[in-house]
Amino acid sequence: MKITALSALVFASLAGGAIAQTADQDLIERGKYIATMGDCAACHTQPRGAGKPYAGGYAIASPLGTIWSTNITPSREYGIGTYTEQDFSDAVRKGVLKDGTHLYPAMPYDAYAGITDADMKALYAYFMHGVAPVDEPPAQVTELPFPFNLRFSMAAWNLLYAGGKPFTPDAGLNAQENRGKYIVDTLGHCASCHSPRGLLMGSVSGQYLRGGSVGPWYAPDITGDPVHGIGSWANEEIATYLKTGRVAGKAQAAGPMAEAVEHSFQHMADDDLGAIAAYLKTVNAPATASTPSVASRTDMGQPVDVEPGIRGLFPENAHDSLKTGAELYSGYCASCHQPNGAGSRNQAYPSLFHNSVTGAASATNLIATILYGVDREAGGDHVLMPHFNTGSYVAVLTDQEIADISNFVMETYGNPNAAKVTTADVQVVRDGGPVPFLAKVQPHIPALMATGGVAAVVVLAGVILLVRRRRIA
Amino acid sequence: MKSPVFNNGDVVADVCVVGSGVVGALTAEHLAGEGYSVIMLDAGLRITRAQAVENWRNMPFANRVGSDYQGLYPQSPMAPAPLYWPKNNYVGLSGPDADGFQQGYLKTVGGTTWHWAASSWRHLPVDLKMHSVYGVGRDWPISYDELEPFYCLAEEKMGVAGPNDPALQSPPERSRPYPMDMVPWSYGDKRMAEVVNPHGWNLVPIPQGRSTQPWNGRPTCCGNNNCQPICPIGAMYNGIHSVEAAEALGAVTLAESVVYRLDTDENNRITAAHFYDAQHVSHRVEAKAFVIACNALETPRLLLAAANERNPNGIANSTDQVGRYMMDHSGFHAYFTAKEPLWLGRGPAQSSCMVGPRDGAFRSEYSATKVILYNITAAHKAASAAIKDGFVGKDLDAEIRRRTINGVDLSISLEPLPDPNNRVTLSKTRLDPHGIPCPEVYYDVGDYVRKGYQASVEQLRGLADLFEADDFHATTSLNANNHIMGGAIMGNDPRNSVTNGNCRAHDHANLWLPGGAPMPSASVVNSTLTMAALGLKAAFDIAATLKA
Repeated sequence: MKITALSALVFASLAGGAIAQTADQDLIERGKYIATMGDCAACHTQPRGAGKPYAGGYAIASPLGTIWSTNITPSREYGIGTYTEQDFSDAVRKGVLKDGTHLYPAMPYDAYAGITDADMKALYAYFMHGVAPVDEPPAQVTELPFPFNLRFSMAAWNLLYAGGKPFTPDAGLNAQENRGKYIVDTLGHCASCHSPRGLLMGSVSGQYLRGGSVGPWYAPDITGDPVHGIGSWANEEIATYLKTGRVAGKAQAAGPMAEAVEHSFQHMADDDLGAIAAYLKTVNAPATASTPSVASRTDMGQPVDVEPGIRGLFPENAHDSLKTGAELYSGYCASCHQPNGAGSRNQAYPSLFHNSVTGAASATNLIATILYGVDREAGGDHVLMPHFNTGSYVAVLTDQEIADISNFVMETYGNPNAAKVTTADVQVVRDGGPVPFLAKVQPHIPALMATGGVAAVVVLAGVILLVRRRRIA
Repeated sequence: MKSPVFNNGDVVADVCVVGSGVVGALTAEHLAGEGYSVIMLDAGLRITRAQAVENWRNMPFANRVGSDYQGLYPQSPMAPAPLYWPKNNYVGLSGPDADGFQQGYLKTVGGTTWHWAASSWRHLPVDLKMHSVYGVGRDWPISYDELEPFYCLAEEKMGVAGPNDPALQSPPERSRPYPMDMVPWSYGDKRMAEVVNPHGWNLVPIPQGRSTQPWNGRPTCCGNNNCQPICPIGAMYNGIHSVEAAEALGAVTLAESVVYRLDTDENNRITAAHFYDAQHVSHRVEAKAFVIACNALETPRLLLAAANERNPNGIANSTDQVGRYMMDHSGFHAYFTAKEPLWLGRGPAQSSCMVGPRDGAFRSEYSATKVILYNITAAHKAASAAIKDGFVGKDLDAEIRRRTINGVDLSISLEPLPDPNNRVTLSKTRLDPHGIPCPEVYYDVGDYVRKGYQASVEQLRGLADLFEADDFHATTSLNANNHIMGGAIMGNDPRNSVTNGNCRAHDHANLWLPGGAPMPSASVVNSTLTMAALGLKAAFDIAATLKA
């Protein structure tokens, strides 16, 4: 078995050297599970069979250009085949490669810093022995423009935001909650999306898991807050959501969360999903368990029949007659979501009321769902809601039509107090989401550098690259 | 990516495609993909899916019960399609079976597949050799094997879901599997197969242009049972998808643009097409290759109407063959109420079909048939009939239920033979709003079909007996099935055909007439997939010609 030489390296510290093959195999299997929890494949494997496992070549959008994931198979020439466990640990936990190159924080090493030594050992064993080497480089290599090609600048960012220590249990939490916290904060890297980022793209104090933008999507508050978060959900519902990507009458996973369910959560052990749920419920939990006076975002809205207001107003051979949000909703949405917004009986087409998307304070995720659809494979089911963006197979909707439908749906089935959607809002989502402050100032950076503030700018240049994953269509 | 060049309403392109239905659009998509600039001209309006959905919901009950699939599609006032609620008599009909040739086709960007049932059948290999095998009809100038790769490509383009078990295929001669596996059968399909197949009926899944899994961004069919007149969720292939695919590759579509004249040079090549816009202003398209794919009734109409000095009998008509050999799968319905409930009406409009009588030695004597287990919900018809029969109150509810769940509606297609007397001509008295003569059609299904009808009714009586039905009845007047074929038939001899095996006109080296028009035999199966395959075959020939 080819494993032998390298396993000697892995287990060098163990006395006797007589490692049973089954023990190797167990470690590799455990490492495989940890790689799944960390969702390494989401970035390092091209989706839906387009590339070999962990051979890289997946495109990650950043405001300054595309970052291409690398080959992390044990190929000695093109992958990490020559890495020691320490080299591997430094890359995963500190974002520093064997040759000293700094990674961009598209790789969530700030979260992975918390991985325990035992898990790191298993992860290393898996990548060295459980993954087939792919002796070819990814087709594309990251080449960001000056000054963002100055990778050493990341060292400065790391001083500010990264460099955490391996996870240690929180004395205030029980064993299950601590297990959940470990997954949420390290391997699951939930905060990478679900916590807001400040001007320097670092996490904002006090806003842990309170929600943040992910490209065109909004990753909502997943704390135990019963109004703004998921405190009103049963633990079993949270686990079901992570396992299947949906909970009838509450929420469905789309966008990057659908990918996380597809690649990672659905493969986790039920105990671990239960632990995540238990821990999330402790974050920002109310001091006393009382029923809040305000509806949570999953409890908003009610069925309203669109038919009486629109039926029969136009002849049966009308042309270009659909103008209002209600008319457009009826024509484009009601065949699946039903004229009263209740969805299909089995909720394969979900209800639009009692839905975290329409109950949210902002219509961002509703707009994103219309523009990008839902594409999720979990538990053997492939869910596809078609998108209505350019190139849609079903229909291409204009910014005005999407704004009208969104306003109708939010007012009728969701949160009537949500901010009204304008065509400009739709355009922002169509263009990939709000542009971070640092990307806005980027055009001025070369001038700033010429006039002196080099150090500060280099820090800026680095932090701007902390991007959240977004699939490039 | 190359697009047509516009100058003051006139157009210059590599390829001019007249008609943006499934055939024209697939042709355009292929050629745009090969790097040619393509202009598509369509007489009709460009509509949205939601408009059709809402129009259908706004339709009066009578139109719905009467299966009015035309009336909800708004038509350009300048280019009428045949409408029947009420009749607009756009197509003048005469002959013994005039009433059986009331075709429903749209003039709409994307064409009539907006309201088809997505049945995507292939001809049998023997269907292309009717004369040499059965001594009737005509042989094609191409073999099934020559057409087969284009069937595969058409199935891929249209996303056809069909049975991958060869025992369920008709025909099983295939070089590639279906892009998706068959649409799952409902209880009614399964029960029917169980009862009838021991008697040779061979009920098989209909290959369908709809999704049984997410496919290229197309959602999975959920059985709205609303394929005709409109798939409300876009799970079914429509020609508009190929229009949009062509446009994404640089092609440009002009709606409400009615071609009425074709210019020819001294070598009788087509040099330009002239069209009227919605304001009746004339424009000109110059191109290297021309494709007329307006369906088998409008294509010959245009060829005849576009007669010029060098071609006084019409374009491509030097041997008086244009407009002849018109065909449709004239059909009838057979009804009975089974003793047991079959729960038909769930899933797509058509799901299974009996192909046992599709072929056999009898074809030297009379028409083959195929028997579709009609699957559009019968509740509305059951209600109308029960009310008419005097049921009231709870009895009415029970009767509607009984008729709906036990009722069987079979749609039977017959195979006509190509007859030169069945033809499209130009009206001498009636003009459309642009002043272009309306079409006239003479139609006689002939004894071959009439004998086939008699044989089929007797066979079906036996089928109804298997379900212990005591109310079997078959319609006696033949209905149109909107599978229009003929009018520019293909062959090796220009004296009795209009195009060659690539759908290229014998008279004009740069004119192609793909679709139903060149089909020399009708088979008994829906013609769309064969039309699409011929469009793609023509497109490959056009690309090869332009490269040369």
